[in-house]
Amino acid sequence: MIELQDVSKEYSNGVKALSGVSVRIKQGEFVYVVGPSGAGKSTFIKLMYREERPTNGHIFVGGFNIERLRERQIPIMRRHIGVVFQDYKLLNKLSVQENVAFALEVTEASRRTIGRRVKEILELVGLADKAHVLPQQLSGGEQQRVGIARALVNKPNVIIADEPTGNLDPENSWSILKLFERVNDRGTTVVMATHNRELVNATKKRVIAIEHGEIVRDEERGDYGYED
Amino acid sequence: MKIRTMGRLTREGCKNLFRNGWMSFAAVSAVAVTLLILGLSMILSLNVQHISSNIESQLQINAYVASNYPAKSLPALETKLKALPGVRSVKFVSKQQAMKEMKALLKQNQGIISGLGNPLPDEYVLQASNPRATPLLAKKVAGLPGIAKVQYGQSFIGKLFAVTNVVRDTAIVFVVALLIMGVFLISNTIKITIFTRRREIEIMKLVGATNSFIRGPFFVEGTMIGLVGALIPSAVLYEGYRWLVGNVTLFPPFTLLAPNDVLFEMSTILLLCGLFMGVWGSLVSVRRFLRK
Repeated sequence: MIELQDVSKEYSNGVKALSGVSVRIKQGEFVYVVGPSGAGKSTFIKLMYREERPTNGHIFVGGFNIERLRERQIPIMRRHIGVVFQDYKLLNKLSVQENVAFALEVTEASRRTIGRRVKEILELVGLADKAHVLPQQLSGGEQQRVGIARALVNKPNVIIADEPTGNLDPENSWSILKLFERVNDRGTTVVMATHNRELVNATKKRVIAIEHGEIVRDEERGDYGYED
Repeated sequence: MKIRTMGRLTREGCKNLFRNGWMSFAAVSAVAVTLLILGLSMILSLNVQHISSNIESQLQINAYVASNYPAKSLPALETKLKALPGVRSVKFVSKQQAMKEMKALLKQNQGIISGLGNPLPDEYVLQASNPRATPLLAKKVAGLPGIAKVQYGQSFIGKLFAVTNVVRDTAIVFVVALLIMGVFLISNTIKITIFTRRREIEIMKLVGATNSFIRGPFFVEGTMIGLVGALIPSAVLYEGYRWLVGNVTLFPPFTLLAPNDVLFEMSTILLLCGLFMGVWGSLVSVRRFLRK
């Protein structure tokens, strides 16, 4: 499903973010990516949706050979991967419903399909009653639900989340995690970079720890393992 | 791209005009002000050209027939004159007619010439189809047998063309400079409006929008800004110029062009300039953020 083969990333300013990372994630897995700030977590995540290109190595995500992808294929690839961000990245001038619909509109889906899918997905994340509200009138937790709804609406096989609970209080963090677990139960792969120790320790899932640009630990039913 | 998508992008572009109300207003104003000045200077330069060509078209060549030239050959001479290349009109003025005109001119002082008989020659009055070719034509006319002398305001014509040339060139330089200035002003305004939307573009790309999908609404916005920005000055200039022509009386050759002659052409040019500025401005600026 997701495979990184000996991947390295050096930024143009000389910073080595990753060196020789190899990892394989199967369809339907739920994986936490942990590690101190600046260890390479974010780079690891960004490589998977082609926000960054690797300096060396191969990356495969859901049938796409990411580092070989042509410029024109990038949008197509992104429609098959749902990405969730720490800062939600919602379009502030569009309503909740329009934000979610946008991800379908780019695929040129019919209006009827869009209407139906958006309604379904907003019910799934529990925001059906706020469809016409603007993002800034929502709480952080609700905004992140919109972000997740948008990531899910194209029925991707993979959800990639970069610190999705980073800006949320514990209660909201838990409900976001519950949402991810429900999505994962339906067979969607979830890769989630996080700093949230309680979540990791309480849920006992696969944990990949990255330090100094290398994978230092990869265990099933793992712990967060840091004191921060 | 599907038709339905184009419809969506058009709608989105129109909505964006209102979502970014102040920015749209700034861009429309920039276009409108530039085009207003452009339109004004166009009207001005068109009229200056009109007046100078009025003056030029009054240039004429007086060709005097030799006094010993037989009267029965005059028709043949006239045919020859008419056959010269670049002649617009040939008019014959007989010596009797010239005398009559002279007397009318002198009125009470007719006595001065009363004892002289008729010293005036027969004469042809010619006009060149291109006023600037007058000296050339005069030379050809002078070369014909039977023509004694040719006059066409030799000393005055050079100065006239020098003046009208300067007026024309200045007007053209002025208009071109304005156009360039306007394009910069507008592309800057639009660049600012797009800069504030960099985040938006970034998000769209992350969600899987193709470049043309992102560009679409910006294209529509640019078009609308250009259109509205051109319609406002067109309307203002139309009413303003009509009022001016209706309320100001001038005497030939200093006449103004008829409003409809000027305004149709001008509005078309303003509209095209507006569209060009709007579309070019927004697409160029959006391209910067699409590349990465």
